[in-house]
Amino acid sequence: MNKKIVGQVTEEEKNEILRLFEHRNGLNELAKILTPENADLYERLVNDMGETTTKFQRWWDTMSAKYHWETDENGSWEINFQTNEIYLVIR
Amino acid sequence: MLKYLVILLDDTSVSFCHYRNDKEVRRLIPYDDLKSAIIWAMKENLMVQFVYPNYTLPIEYVELIDTIDHVDIAENDFDADVLIVNGFDSISTSGISPDLPFVLRITAKEFFDNVDRLSEFSALTIVFTDMEDWGDDTLDKYKTALGKLSRNVSLRISSGESSRVNLVMDRMQLSSMNNCGAGDESITFAPDGQFYICPAFYLNGEPPVGTLEKGVDIPNAQLYKRSYAPICRNCDAYNCKRCIWLNKLKTHEVNTPGREQCVMAHLERNESRRLLESLKSDGIYKTIASIPEIDYLDPFEKL
Amino acid sequence: MSDYKKEYTPWQAGRSKNITFIVTKDCQLACKYCYLIGKNDKERMNWSVAKQAIDYILAHEIDFPEESVIWDFIGGEPFLEIELIDRICDYIKSEMYRLNHHWFNSYRFSFSTNGINYSSDKVQKFIKKNPTHLSIGITIDGTKRKHDLNRIWNNNDEEKGSYDDVVRNIPLWLKQFPDAATKVTISHSDLPYIAESVLHLYSLGIHNVNINCVFEDVWLDGDDNLFVEQLIMLADKIIEQRLFENYSCSFFSENIGRPMDSIIENNNWCGAGKMLSIDAAGNFYPCTRFAAYSLRSKKPIIIGNVYDGIDKNLLRPFLSLDRTTQSPQKCLDCEVASGCAWCQGENYDAADTPTIYQRSTAICKMHKARVRANNYYWNKLFRLLEIEGRKEEFEKNKPQSSKLPC
Repeated sequence: MNKKIVGQVTEEEKNEILRLFEHRNGLNELAKILTPENADLYERLVNDMGETTTKFQRWWDTMSAKYHWETDENGSWEINFQTNEIYLVIR
Repeated sequence: MLKYLVILLDDTSVSFCHYRNDKEVRRLIPYDDLKSAIIWAMKENLMVQFVYPNYTLPIEYVELIDTIDHVDIAENDFDADVLIVNGFDSISTSGISPDLPFVLRITAKEFFDNVDRLSEFSALTIVFTDMEDWGDDTLDKYKTALGKLSRNVSLRISSGESSRVNLVMDRMQLSSMNNCGAGDESITFAPDGQFYICPAFYLNGEPPVGTLEKGVDIPNAQLYKRSYAPICRNCDAYNCKRCIWLNKLKTHEVNTPGREQCVMAHLERNESRRLLESLKSDGIYKTIASIPEIDYLDPFEKL
Repeated sequence: MSDYKKEYTPWQAGRSKNITFIVTKDCQLACKYCYLIGKNDKERMNWSVAKQAIDYILAHEIDFPEESVIWDFIGGEPFLEIELIDRICDYIKSEMYRLNHHWFNSYRFSFSTNGINYSSDKVQKFIKKNPTHLSIGITIDGTKRKHDLNRIWNNNDEEKGSYDDVVRNIPLWLKQFPDAATKVTISHSDLPYIAESVLHLYSLGIHNVNINCVFEDVWLDGDDNLFVEQLIMLADKIIEQRLFENYSCSFFSENIGRPMDSIIENNNWCGAGKMLSIDAAGNFYPCTRFAAYSLRSKKPIIIGNVYDGIDKNLLRPFLSLDRTTQSPQKCLDCEVASGCAWCQGENYDAADTPTIYQRSTAICKMHKARVRANNYYWNKLFRLLEIEGRKEEFEKNKPQSSKLPC
């Protein structure tokens, strides 16, 4: 695995993806305990998961378009929440 | 530094402050203890304040008390230096002249019910007896009542009549904190022959802080000083009672006031400011320094 | 295209509310230095109290404006009540979501455990259910002889150490939480084993060792010198073996040992009052250390309960407390004041009157000893790095240690 810094986002931009990241994790773990019997909350959760995934991908698309980060066909980007740095990780 | 010694002459001595004295069984201070306390006060260069019960003291006690320059605090005794009146109705039953200075101990409800009549007095000091029960609702009503009181006082003064009520006027006269200073500037000697932070500490079973033999030894004495009170040390509600006993009751710390005491003092401060500005605009009290406008009622929020 | 690098730093330090459920006062161990003097097997939190607490806290969002929350579970030994904890956590998650509470987007469940039950089916099932929201610290004190000196089984028949029962669970714990830290407590009798213990923990694969001396007045003449000796021995090993590149020990911090300004550095050290603890009876405390079972000589400070809520007046002393007001003059004049910690609960317990405004200085000579050893460590390390021309690189990449006083 090869890893290098290819950019950095602002604190505000980091907070946006961090919030989505935490929200998605929360939904995933909530999904394990919610059952269809709890109909209202269950439906809200299912919709929310779809929306969050979309917002998540949109953030990466927007940021990569804004900052023109280096890409690789075998790579993926990562963010360091402490430093706001973006890494390109080639596997 | 200690300046005042409060001597409770009896367990049933009148309360002159926020605390209640529910004791009904008389316990006169032993003559020898009283004598020793007076001598101790002389040696320590303290001003003595004697707090009287509602019965006549033996003549030898009266003579002994007269051996030292002092202040007498007593209920319904027109000769006392500090006259205490308990309850609004007692004003009329005791026949007090409106020109006589006195301390009126009343509840919030008595204050709200009678606020229109309080501006008639020339030197009235109001002390609330139910402060520990005040909440937001009482404070809201208090704000309204203070406004009414200050308007009445303003009208009387502007028309040349005499009117003075501590709640809306003390702050005008002060340029620094003016509290009882319990544990710092004053100390209380009780009928059991021991020293206490203030009468309320004695009456509520708090531990003593010294004896005549060993002197006053207050553990954590620094906490009674304003510089060791984070909420109070930069506060300019100089009219605040800064009651150490209420602090202890509400927050468990002698140096920390509860919210209600802070808000009460700031409502009074702010009403004093408005009253002063109103009087100044009528050409009265022009030489008194204005009170700055502030945007908070509880200095805790500013820490 | 998204994955995340994780580094060890205390999660949301300074931005989170810490809410502690004292789920039980029972524990399998009877550690000799344990401040919980009132441990027993009777006071176990029931579901009704736990639910009431959660309902109260989540319904008063305005009173808990912190960005994040750490739902903390302690005991006794919290994992003795794993079924209750599991139910509490499920309820918290679903209620935070149902109420659109801002904490749903920033929460953790945190545990300080003795590690004995860590690999049990129930605990493991719980971990798998909440993998991204857990912070679990297992307390292991170091080498077997150091650990077993204090951390013994609660058994009246014979004194038996718990090291073997804990260490067997460390590999699983580190596999599940590779960045996990352990917390080591040093009391008088532990002093000769500090160096070997920290090195042993590193050898087990624990990269972050949070370690502190107890705040209680247990220190004897000469303990400070022994402490310095041990820390210098540890410093030499960390530098010789280049362990500083991948491991941290909270005893060594660049920011300790200088005078402090009375005005701009006047914050309280301890977070008591900013935290909230709940016991089995449903009482609220400003920190667990103010519960009756933690106190030797003072009454508990109860600031409310799950039924009537919090009496905010009782929080005012905690929230207005600053460093200078509670410190004696010798602390204000101290040339090496920075980094000297205190525990508000111990201050209260040791004070001459029932106040939190009297700082205990029992730890004074141990802090000064730590500063001396710390100076040695950094002087030696920086000299080495300067010679190697790697100081800048180290500064940029050095491992973080957390600032956890208790």
